[in-house]
This record gives sequence, structure tokens and C-alpha cells, in this order.
Amino acid sequence: MSWNQHLAAGHRQGVPNVGCSAVELQQATRYYGAKNTGVAALDNVSLSCPAGTWTAIMGPSGSGKSTLLHCAAGLDQVTSGRVLLAGRDITRAQDSQLTELRRRTIGFVFQSFNLISSLTAEQNVAFPSKLAGVRVSKSDVRQTLASVGLADRATHKPRELSGGQQQRVAIARAMISRPAVLFADEPTGALDSHSAKMVLELLRNMVRTVGQSIVMVTHDPAVAASADTVVFLADGQIVDRVDMPTIHDVAERLARLES
Amino acid sequence: MFQMSFSTFRERWELFIGAILSVGVGVALVQASMLVLAATGEPQIPPGTSRQAEDKIREGFVAAATVMGMTAFLAMFLAVFIVSSTFSFTVAQRRRDLALLRLTGGSRTQLRALLLSESLLLGVVGSALGVPFGLIAKYAQTRLLVEIGLLPEGFTAPWALWAVVVSGIIGVCVALAGVFTASLRAAKILPLEALRETGKAAEVMTVSRWFFGLSFAFCTISMVMWAQGANLIGAMMAALGISMFGAVAMSMLSPLVVPFTAWLFGVLVPGSTLVGLAQANLRDGVRRSAATASPLIVLVALLLGLAGTFGSLSAAGGEEAKRSVNAHLVVSSTGEEAERLAGIEGVAVASRQNAVDITITTEKTQNKRVIKRNFYSGIVAVDAADYARTHTLPPARGDLAALAGNTVFTGPARNADRIAPGQVLPAEAGGQPLQLTVVGGYPETLEMGDSFLVPRQALPRQVWAGAPTETVVQVAQGQDPDAVAERIEKAGFSQVQTVSQWAIARAENAQDGNVKILTVLMGLAGLYALMAVVNSVVIAGSERRREFAVSRVTGMTQPQVVRVAVVEAIGVAVIGLVLGCVVAGAGLVGIGGAVHKAIGTTVVFIPWTLLAIVAMGSVGIVAVTSAVTAAIATKDRPVSLVTTKE
Repeated sequence: MSWNQHLAAGHRQGVPNVGCSAVELQQATRYYGAKNTGVAALDNVSLSCPAGTWTAIMGPSGSGKSTLLHCAAGLDQVTSGRVLLAGRDITRAQDSQLTELRRRTIGFVFQSFNLISSLTAEQNVAFPSKLAGVRVSKSDVRQTLASVGLADRATHKPRELSGGQQQRVAIARAMISRPAVLFADEPTGALDSHSAKMVLELLRNMVRTVGQSIVMVTHDPAVAASADTVVFLADGQIVDRVDMPTIHDVAERLARLES
Repeated sequence: MFQMSFSTFRERWELFIGAILSVGVGVALVQASMLVLAATGEPQIPPGTSRQAEDKIREGFVAAATVMGMTAFLAMFLAVFIVSSTFSFTVAQRRRDLALLRLTGGSRTQLRALLLSESLLLGVVGSALGVPFGLIAKYAQTRLLVEIGLLPEGFTAPWALWAVVVSGIIGVCVALAGVFTASLRAAKILPLEALRETGKAAEVMTVSRWFFGLSFAFCTISMVMWAQGANLIGAMMAALGISMFGAVAMSMLSPLVVPFTAWLFGVLVPGSTLVGLAQANLRDGVRRSAATASPLIVLVALLLGLAGTFGSLSAAGGEEAKRSVNAHLVVSSTGEEAERLAGIEGVAVASRQNAVDITITTEKTQNKRVIKRNFYSGIVAVDAADYARTHTLPPARGDLAALAGNTVFTGPARNADRIAPGQVLPAEAGGQPLQLTVVGGYPETLEMGDSFLVPRQALPRQVWAGAPTETVVQVAQGQDPDAVAERIEKAGFSQVQTVSQWAIARAENAQDGNVKILTVLMGLAGLYALMAVVNSVVIAGSERRREFAVSRVTGMTQPQVVRVAVVEAIGVAVIGLVLGCVVAGAGLVGIGGAVHKAIGTTVVFIPWTLLAIVAMGSVGIVAVTSAVTAAIATKDRPVSLVTTKE
């Protein structure tokens, strides 16, 4: 049975449903290697993540979670099918168009933070805007850092910050350009439980207050349960989904998939 | 972008310090060479110097200018090479950082701009350092040139602002040129590489590496083949080209031999766990190994290649001199003393060659301008019949029998001037004007040889009587040359040599001069390349802190980690040495062919002593540097590095 489907706007209470898709994959397939001997990391996947919602993607190791995220964010190209990001077809976009997209339309948060080690927290936050040639005021940067609770760490370099603080800088960096979609790849994977909780609250707050669209890959049921919708992948296909998830729901479905 | 470059520069200075120093030393060498070169334009002749001594000083100035020109050229080549190999290495090391820039919205152009602005900064800082370094280099070069006798004592090269400006601009251009290919490669990095190690990051033999490696190898082989049919000047230039192009080719293709070296280690030291790990590291870090081996390849190729070339030419010159003389003994004396030699029992022919102090003036029309040139040295007074009986080199033009009366024969040193028979050259001997008609000329030889041969009878006696004279003696048939030599010595001649001894001494004398020139030329450039070797070992080591820490938490002690690093470094040094020797060997094949064409036999000089010194020195330096770097990189507690995420 195929679970490929368009998801309803399953956002938490109090979140406005803006009605259009932040990310949409239409019969997306991604092959690695030769057609006959290769592996289909994504196999005919159709998925629509409504704007203003938080979608978590889960699945066992090798199920295609990361490939889905990479293809959805324009970091990788699907072999067949279509990818729409904030209403734009990016399936065969040129490098310059994708660069432009990364500057203005999408933000990234990763497990390994990926901050530029030679720049301070505020320089890291301002950097993507500078690359885009957009002037960003110091007060805007400081305000964004303050919104993630790091007002007093603006001039610190990544190595002078804890893991949780680094991840919050990464979130501030992703947020300053007010992206249409925020992609998060195991954003709490390298954090202790206290820092992880803080980061998840921050993301939930962004969805609630500014209607931020988030697409997140995780393997942790507790993290996935913070999202509005959880989509389950196995062998490159969507096999299940749950709206308004609880930790128990997610853990149970994941255990079923892994067994 | 410039701010980013600046902070990267400040943050990861250890990645750039070597490149900065390379530019700095390059600028210093270029600046110093230009200043000395400019000062040699006007030879400083002390008043009261004899005309022959003046000629010698002028020759020294010309040689010094050539050496300085070559030094400047080599310094530029090495600077571009070292900066580009350092930068391509740092691009490989920073691949994830650069991919991250792409991920956060950086375009390809911006990535290129980042690296170019980094190199601009590097060029400016390097050039600023190069100016004071240049003063030291100028002092060192002047001292060396005076020391080896090319320049007279008291020679000074005044400081000039233009040289500083020009070398500064060269420094910046060298930095930009060096980083150009690395910036192109960096622009190809995909944003996705920030998230995972993709196949591209692991790929070492890229298309451009294959292209440049094979192109340069093709050029090198072409030059080796061309040198077989070239004249000696051409072959020498080809030898320099072979060393440079071959070094680049081998550096580009060196990743191909890394796995073989790793395998060789396994064969030589089977069963050792540490060597096994070093073997695996060598294979895994092909790019790192190749980057470390590159400057070593250049060092070995240039040092051994040029030493071999110069040595082969000298040895061949000696061989040619020996073959061109059909006699047994060579006696040194004054012209007057030499007159007695023919009368000594057992002497069949005594061909006296007086190095006379006369002036011969040549005229040459160049671009409709008549250029007059006075020669004071290299003029030898001979007796044509004796000379013809003792010398076998056939003239290129005319007949030696015509060398009688007011005539002149051009020597090998003037062959290139194309002075045609029939031309009349004004001369002056002992205050007496002469008009000498050219009746023939000798071809070019490996040794520079004499400029002019004049008949002794045409010169006043006082001109040749006191002149330094070499007499080539043919011993009468049935006589023992040793016995005749003894008789000559008894007759009051202190310097009697066999022709072999005389030829060897000449070759050694020429080789001695070559070694001195090589010391100036290669000493500075060699130190420079050695600095690059140390630099790449330091970069490679300091970037492996986490890897070393992982080894330690796996159960290795710190000394064991250091030992593995040293074994790897020795492997890399061996790769550099072997590939460098391959290039030097190609240079020798080229010069061997040219020598064969010139004298009919192949004479090749392999600088074994230098090879041993370079081999032991470079392996030792690489081993010590890598031991020190690994010891520093492992001084922190391993757990602090293993758990570090950013």
C-alpha cells in the first residue's frame, strides 16, 4: 500500500493555516548508481508540506530521510518527478538560481551546527545576508541573537560556545533572512536534553509566532513529537504519517517500521 | 568577503604562514636579484687594473648578471609553485568550510572572490615582509658572488625604490597566479559536501590534475628529445626546463605512486601494526602525501638536475679537451722559458701557446649600427705548424696552414660571432698597430675555448716572451713520456702534467666554478624549497589533531602516534626523492644526448655526493618536522579533541 499523499495542514493549535505548500514533491525519485544496479533512495515520493507548519520526517537508517531533505532543499536533484519550493519549480534549477534560493528562500539548521569557525556569532548570523548583498543592521543581528537567548554571546566565536549555544546561533543565522522554509537535519542530535528542549521550544515558537514553515529530519521520537505532522519513510517510500503526534505514537510506529 | 578573508587569515594563520613566507622569500630574492643585476650593468673597475684583469672583471659581472637573472626567474617559479601547491592543499583541507559557504548562499563567484582576496592579502603581507628580507638576501647574494670571485671585493648594489615596487607587484601577482587554479577547483565544491563526504571530496586525481600532469610530462619528454639534437646552450636551457616542467608533472602525478609506496612499506616491514597503520594512512591521505612530496620533488629535481647538467658539461669538456690534443705532456711556463722545450731530448714537437696581452677589435653591424668590441683576453700566439701537429680539432672554416704573417684565426669562443675569413681586424700589440686578416676559424666546443689564435711571428718578442704559456709536448717515437717529463722537470720546468692530468684539472677547475655558481643559484632556491617542505609537513600535521586523538583513544600511546606520523613522513619523503630523481634523470638523458652529438661520446656526471646529502637531509628534515608537529598536535588530552564538534 502506498502512503504517498498530500498532507493536510496538521499544525498545532493556534497556528494560522496559510493554505499553500511550502515544499512539494511530486512523484520524486532519486537513484544513486546505474539504473539497473543502483539504489533508489527515494522511490516515487509525493509529499506536500503546508506553509506555516512543522513537518518531521522519520524512518529507519537508510530509509531516504536525508535524501528527501536534500532534494526538497535543492541540494540534490531528483532523477525523476518534480520539486516545488515556496511555489517555485526547482527540479532543474541552475546553480545560480539555487544559490539565490539559499540566500532568500530557505534556511538550514544541522546536527553539526556548521558555523564558520573564524567568524563570531554575530558575524555568522549576518553572513548569509552579506553574501546576498543585503545590508543588515547590527541591531537586527543583535535582536535575532537576543531572540534565541544569546544577546550576551554576540562576539564569541563558535569554539567559545556550548553545543546548544552554537545551535541557537545556527537558528538565528537561518532566521535572519526570514526564509520561507527552514530545513533542519537532526537539529538536536548533538545536544544534551536541556539544550535540545530549548532548541525545540525555539522552533515551536517560530512556527507559532511568525508562521515559519519547518521541514525536519530526526530519528528521535521525542523531537518528532514537537512537530505538527510526522511522515514516516522506509525504503525510499512514504509508509505512514501522523498528525498532532505524541511521543508514544511516533515511537510505536517507528518500532513497527524497524522490526 | 574581504572581512571573511581577513578573519579566516587570522583564525587559520598556520595554513597560510608557509605561503606568506614563500611569497616573502620570493619577493626578497627577486628584489635582491634585480638590485644586484642592475648594479652589474656598470662594472666597477678599480683604477690601474690591467686590460686582461679588466676583461676578467667584466666577464665576472656578466656571469653574475646571468646568475642573478636565473635566481630571480627560479624564485618566481618556486613562489608560484609553492603558493599554488599550498593553496590547493588548503582548499582540500577546507572543503567542508567552503561547502558551508555555498550552503549559506555563497555563489561560485563569491567563493572564487574569497580565495582570490585571501591570496591578495597573502601577497600584500608577503610582499611587505619581502622588502626587509630583500635587504638581507641582497647582502647574502652579494657576499656569495664576491666569495666565488664573480664580483670584485667592495662591490655594492645600491637600494632602489623601483626594485621594491616591482618585486612587491610581482609578489602580489605570484600570490594571485598561485591561487588561481585552487580557486577554480573551490568553485566546483557542491553545497551538499558540507553535510557529507561525497565522492568528489575523496577524488584526488581530478581531470585538471590529469590534464596538467600529462601535459607537463609531455612537454618534459619533448624537451628531453629535443635536447638530443640541440647545441650545448640549448641543452642547458632544456635541462632547466626539464627540471621545472618535470617537477610540476611529477607533483601532479604523484598521487598515483602513493599506493605503491604504501605497498612497498608493507613488503619491507611486514607484520608491524604501526607500519600497517602508517601504510593505511598513506593510502587514505593521498592528497596530503602528494602535497607534502611536491616541494621535495622540485627541490631534488632542481638541485640534482642542474648539478648533473653542469657536472656533465664540465666532464665532457675535459674529455673533449683530452681528445682534441694529440700529445703526451703539457708544460706551463713563460713564453721565453718555453723556447727551450723543443731542444730537450725526447721532445718531438713542442707547441707553445702564449696567452698574449694584445688588443683585437671586431666590428659588427647590428640594426644598421656598427658595434665595435675590443678583446684583450683569450688571445693565443701559436706556431701554426706545431699547433696543427698537436691539435686534432678540425677548423670550421679555412686552413691552419694559412696562419702566417699578419693573419688571425678565430677560436671556439668567437664562433658564434660569425667573423668571416677575409675580414681585416685592427689589432694593437706592444704599442704597435697591426691589421690582421681572418684566414679561418674553429667551431664551438664544450669548453669556452680561446677567442683568437695569432701567429707568433707577427708579434713583437716582448709581447709573448713574458706571457703565461702552455706548451703541448709530443714525445718522440720510442721515448717513454715519463722519462721525457722527468727530463723536462730537470731542465727547470716545475709544472709538467700528462695530457690526462691536464684535462682532468681543467674539468675540475670548470666544475669548481660551476659548483660555486650552483651554490649561489641553488643554495637560496634550495633553502626556499626546503622551507616549503617544512611548511607542508606542518600544515598536514596540524590539521590531523582530531585523527591523532582518535588513534590515542583507540589505545595508542603518544609516542606511537608520533612514530606512525614519522613513518608516514619518511614514506612521503621517499616518494619526493624518487620522483625528483626521475626528473633529474630525464635532465641527464637530455644533456647526455647533446654531449654525444657534440663530441661523439656520451659523458654523464651523476652527482652522487649531492644526492646522498639531499636524500639524508630531506628525509631527516621531514622526519624531524613531522615528529615535532605530531608531538605538538598530540599534547592536548585526546578526549578534548575527540568530543569537539566545531
